[in-house]
Amino acid sequence: MSEIRTLIVDDSSVMRKIVERSLRQAGLDGLVVVEAANGVEGLEALKAAPVDLILSDINMPAMDGLEFLRQIREQKLAVGIPVVMITTESSEEHVKQAIQAGARGYIRKPFTAEQVKERVLPLVKAS
Amino acid sequence: MMLNGVQQRLHAALEVEPGRLEAGARTERGDGGRRMPESLRENLSEIADPRNLDASVAEVFQLMLGTSCRKEEVELERAEEQVTAVVGFGGILSGACVFRSGGEAARRVAARMTGMEFCAVDDTVKDGIGELCNMLAGSWKGKVPELAARCGLSVPAVITGHDYELHVQAPEFRLRHVYAFDGVRFEVTILCDGIQ
Repeated sequence: MSEIRTLIVDDSSVMRKIVERSLRQAGLDGLVVVEAANGVEGLEALKAAPVDLILSDINMPAMDGLEFLRQIREQKLAVGIPVVMITTESSEEHVKQAIQAGARGYIRKPFTAEQVKERVLPLVKAS
Repeated sequence: MMLNGVQQRLHAALEVEPGRLEAGARTERGDGGRRMPESLRENLSEIADPRNLDASVAEVFQLMLGTSCRKEEVELERAEEQVTAVVGFGGILSGACVFRSGGEAARRVAARMTGMEFCAVDDTVKDGIGELCNMLAGSWKGKVPELAARCGLSVPAVITGHDYELHVQAPEFRLRHVYAFDGVRFEVTILCDGIQ
């Protein structure tokens, strides 16, 4: 079974665990989780080792999720890697900003494991 | 009493980076052509509708904690150990969403969120309560399209200790509801101290 290295970026350690649990419940085989508490740590993690999937919050200290996405693109750190935003911000403008910055999916908190499955698994399979 | 730095953290919690609000500074939504009012005051009755708060609490507890809670018409008793989380609103509406409970309720919330057991209000419990408050604030503002687009959220601040008061000057409106789940109670307050 091949590994699916997944970077979860969220300033809440509890939320990172919930996202990980949801991915496991979604049946993501071979899941290996890398955690980061903000965009700065996320960039460092990507420079240290490549990943297959990124899930990121938006509202975070130090570097928010949208800037993190822009930096990923500018620095070409995760070319072709699907990025899904998981955030409390749900307005059309926030979704549009995230998509423009390079996100391939958007999940609003609170969420269910089923929603994670529906929005993440197709991206993983496609990539 | 553990109140060191509370003023600073609250101040930080009630500020939102201006850059986060720029995206929402439009007067019309792109979908369906629904016109946004020039002033949010035109929608004050919708914003201050107490049912939005109840629906937000129900949604967050059902989806993230896998349990329901019921609204109770009582004052929240003062616990020996209190936990308070604050998420600030900024932009077209300024104010805060405040979650308050005793230590036992906070531990049970965190246990429901993580599947772990906690014997003290440790950093994980505080983190969980902050995230819960963040989701409550996001869910509440998401009920009103004008707020969803043009009101930003701060990162959560969490205060623990006992024998403290959270004082705000006379707000534009305040919604304060007490709920119960698993035999414990908590309180959620929406404070609006400025509206455009």
